[in-house]
Order: sequence, then structure tokens, then C-alpha cells
Amino acid sequence: MVIGVLADLGTFWSDFRDTVSANYDELFTRTIEHLSIVAQTALISSAIGIVLGILCARYRERLAPLVIGTASVVLTLPSYALFGYFGVTLGYNDRAVILALTLYAMLPIIRNTYVGLTQVSPAVEESARGMGMSGRQILFRVRLPIALPVIMAGIRQATVLNVAIATIGAAIASGGLGTPIFHAIGRSELTLLLAATILVAAVGIGADLILGLVERILRERYFARARAALLLRLAR
Amino acid sequence: MIVFDHVTKKFGDVIAVNDLSFEIRDGETVMLLGPSGCGKTTTLKMINRLIEHTSGTILVDGKDIEKEDPVQLRRSMGYVIQQAGLFPHLTVGDNIGTVPRLLGWKPARIRDRIVELVELVDLDPAILPRLPRELSGGQQQRVGVARALAADPPVMLMDEPFGALDPITRQRLQEELRRLQQRVKKTIVFVTHDVEEAVTLGDRIAVLNVGGVLEQFDRPARILGRPANAFVADFLGKDRQLRRLSLMSVADADLLPESAEGLPEVPSSSNLRSALDEMLETGRRRLAVRDSDGTIKGVLTLESIMQMSRAI
Repeated sequence: MVIGVLADLGTFWSDFRDTVSANYDELFTRTIEHLSIVAQTALISSAIGIVLGILCARYRERLAPLVIGTASVVLTLPSYALFGYFGVTLGYNDRAVILALTLYAMLPIIRNTYVGLTQVSPAVEESARGMGMSGRQILFRVRLPIALPVIMAGIRQATVLNVAIATIGAAIASGGLGTPIFHAIGRSELTLLLAATILVAAVGIGADLILGLVERILRERYFARARAALLLRLAR
Repeated sequence: MIVFDHVTKKFGDVIAVNDLSFEIRDGETVMLLGPSGCGKTTTLKMINRLIEHTSGTILVDGKDIEKEDPVQLRRSMGYVIQQAGLFPHLTVGDNIGTVPRLLGWKPARIRDRIVELVELVDLDPAILPRLPRELSGGQQQRVGVARALAADPPVMLMDEPFGALDPITRQRLQEELRRLQQRVKKTIVFVTHDVEEAVTLGDRIAVLNVGGVLEQFDRPARILGRPANAFVADFLGKDRQLRRLSLMSVADADLLPESAEGLPEVPSSSNLRSALDEMLETGRRRLAVRDSDGTIKGVLTLESIMQMSRAI
């Protein structure tokens, strides 16, 4: 029996290899497209989401419940319907896909920016103000850097989520790994489906790793310079 | 000089500071002392406009602070608060260098200043590359003081800076602040609810009552010796004569030129409270006072201590 399973696995593996090499160009192009869609979405949604999060933290009572409530509702919309809506209204292209994905990314980014900014200790804010920092300096030099890890966690969560959701975008546009998946389903090609799915997962893991790296660089950059300068000075 | 001229602060209908008028001279340490709800922190924060006063005038060096830009005003004053409020994402060195950086100093000058300050507040320069959370409470507070001193402001505002520290650390930092003040000669406004702290550190003490009423403003010895009213007397506590003795040096008492043979000794640098304690400890009414150069200066008697405590 063991030999039977191994033989099946062997057959499956050679089958898999054949499928990948037969569709190599297609899969490669689609992966790049997928990455590009997700990356554009990450940039756009981070810019919009962080600004909205800052506004929510600024106008805690009036704006925060409204914006965060709306972003939560967006997340409950069925993705197929949302993609369909933008496909119909904006045309069947990547732009429509990116817009829908941006909406899905809003909640984690806005919420984390808001939480990260509002959790900065009042003592820290008060001393910043008391030392003569302007409102803008307090935001950019104190509150945002302190909130950075929380904000980045939101961006990572949104992006990883979008790597998966982006496949559905193939319903309205031809870009990304959703296309081979839809093909595979239509032609009952399970091996192709598996290959494309593995690639989606790999893109997800890759995106998470890259964003983790971005976070580390941003965080380290903050005191690395001062640390080096001081150590030099002390060593004299 | 900081002048409060009929300053009132209302939060809605609640009066936090009521018609406050007093002057703080250059280079003196003024303690704002009182129970919670007396408006002492509000009074402090009105000086750097973290809180805007409702009516009256506050002058700093003759200039009406209402006409100053609050951000510039605050940069000319050091500010230290109870929880230190250090920036958690910056190293100790960067924390100390914050205000010079805001003022646009050259990096080399900022670095020199940071190293100078670390020595001034008696910290090991090795902690400069660390983050605040890696420091003890006492160290954090020292960093807070160094950060406030960074741009060498003439005025220091301190809001219960040692309030959250354990008694031993607190006492040590109080002593260091006193020594530091002798070197830097800042105008210090210091909020506290601790009578002992007010008496030890203050050149003058402003005693505030609930509702922001100034009950008495005078030197510690006078406030302890002649409390203006029942509130002040009550707030200072039952042992205010003893506290007052701790402000007086043995060297200032009338010493009798008698034989000191076989008497217990006190150093002339100690205060009358410790001398009295020594009398109680040894059961003697007379002590030999020994100078720092080793000679006996004379004999201190219980009567002369009592005489000192009557004098104002």
C-alpha cells in the first residue's frame, strides 16, 4: 500500500512539474501582475488610510465612529459583488480591481493608525507640548513614530488579506493569479489550480516579509544615526 | 522675573485659581504647595501656556505671555513632569537633545551639550544610546531634568517631578537638585504636595488652598514659624517646629564658651533638629559642637535651641 501511495505521489509530482513548465510563462506573468496590483493597492490604501486614521485620532468623538464604522461595513460586502460593481461602473480593468481592494484595506489601516496614535501616553504628549513642539512636530516626531509598529501591523494585515482577495479580481479584469485559477476551475485542471494557489500563498508570505523589513528599516533608522554619532563621540 | 497679577482661571463654572498675585524673582526656587484641587499644577501650566488663564496678567521678564507665541515661550522654559514623559522611541541622548534640535543647533554642538548635561545630572554617559524603558525611575527622572536644562532656559517648571519615586531615590534627587541649582541658578517653579520637599528645596513657598486661593507666600522658616492661618498651620502638620529646626544650622545658634568635657558631640554643619535628636538620644541638655577643622566651637544647650525656635 505504501508503495501505491508513493507511486501516486510520484505521478502527481511529475504531473505538477509538467503543468508548471507548460504554463510557466503564463504563471510568471500573472504572479508579477498580482504583485503589482497588491503593491499599488498597498501604497494607495496606506496613504488614504493613514490620513483618515490621523483625522480620526484628531476628531475622536465626531469622526472616528463614523469612519471606522463605514470601513467595517465595507469589509462585510461580498467581494464578488463589489468587484462586479466597479467592473460595471469603471470598466473591466485593473483600476477597478485596485479600487475595490483599497476599500477592503481601509479598516485595518485606519483602525490601527487610530489606535496607535490614541494610545500614546498623555505624559509623553504633554512633555512634548511643554518643551515647545508645535502640533505638527508632535504628530510627526513623536506620535507617528511611536505608533509606527501598530500602523505597520495594520498595513501588513490589509495587504496579506488583499493578496487572497485580489484573485477574485480576475472576474472583472485579466490581471493577476486569479486568471489561471478561474481557467483551472473552468477546465477542471486541479494541478493548475494547485500551482496557482501555491503562488498566491507565496506572494502573501513574500508581501508580509517585505513589509516587515520596511517596518524594521523605518524603526531602526530613527535612532541608529544618533546612536552611532554618540558612540563615536564617546569613544574619543 | 515671573509676575502673576490678579490671575484667575475658571474651568466652566469651577474656579481653579482665584485672583492670584505674586512675584517670583530671578534665580529663586518657589514651591507651589497645597492639597489636591488647590490649583498648583494649573498655576504652573499657566506660566508656559499649557493652560490659558481666564483673566489677569502673567508677565515673564516684563513681557505679557499672552502676546508671546506659546511654542517659542515654552522653548524658553524647561518643563519636567512626574512621569518624566520621555519619548519612548528615542534614545536617552536624543531625548536630551530634543529642544536644541527644535532650536536648530548644529549637530556637533548638540552632542557636546548632551554629554555635558549627562555629567551635570550625574548619569553615566554609557546610558546615552539606551532607550528610556531600559532605565530605572530615578534615572528617567534625571534624564527628564537634563532634557529640560538642555537649551539652558532661565526658567524651569517642575510638576511634582519626584512624586512617583521611592523615598530614598526622591531624597537623593532632591539633594542633587539643590546642588545643581547652586551651579545653574535657574528660576525654578516647583509643584509639590509634600511639605518636607517644599521646605527642603524652596527659597520661598506659596501655600495654596482648595479653589486656588493663595494663603501664604514666604520663606520656609517664616511659614513654619508663623503660619498665616489655621489652614496653613494644619497643612504643615503638627511637627512644623521640628521641620523648622531642620532648616537652622548648629553654627547659627548661640554657643556657650564652656568646657565641653565629657559631652556628646555634634558637628557644626548639622542642623538643630539633629542636635535635638542627639539630646533626646543621649538624655543630655548640652552638646559639644565640633567644627570641621576638629576644634570645639562651644556648647549648645537645649535652652538655646528653644530660643532659636522662638525667633523668626
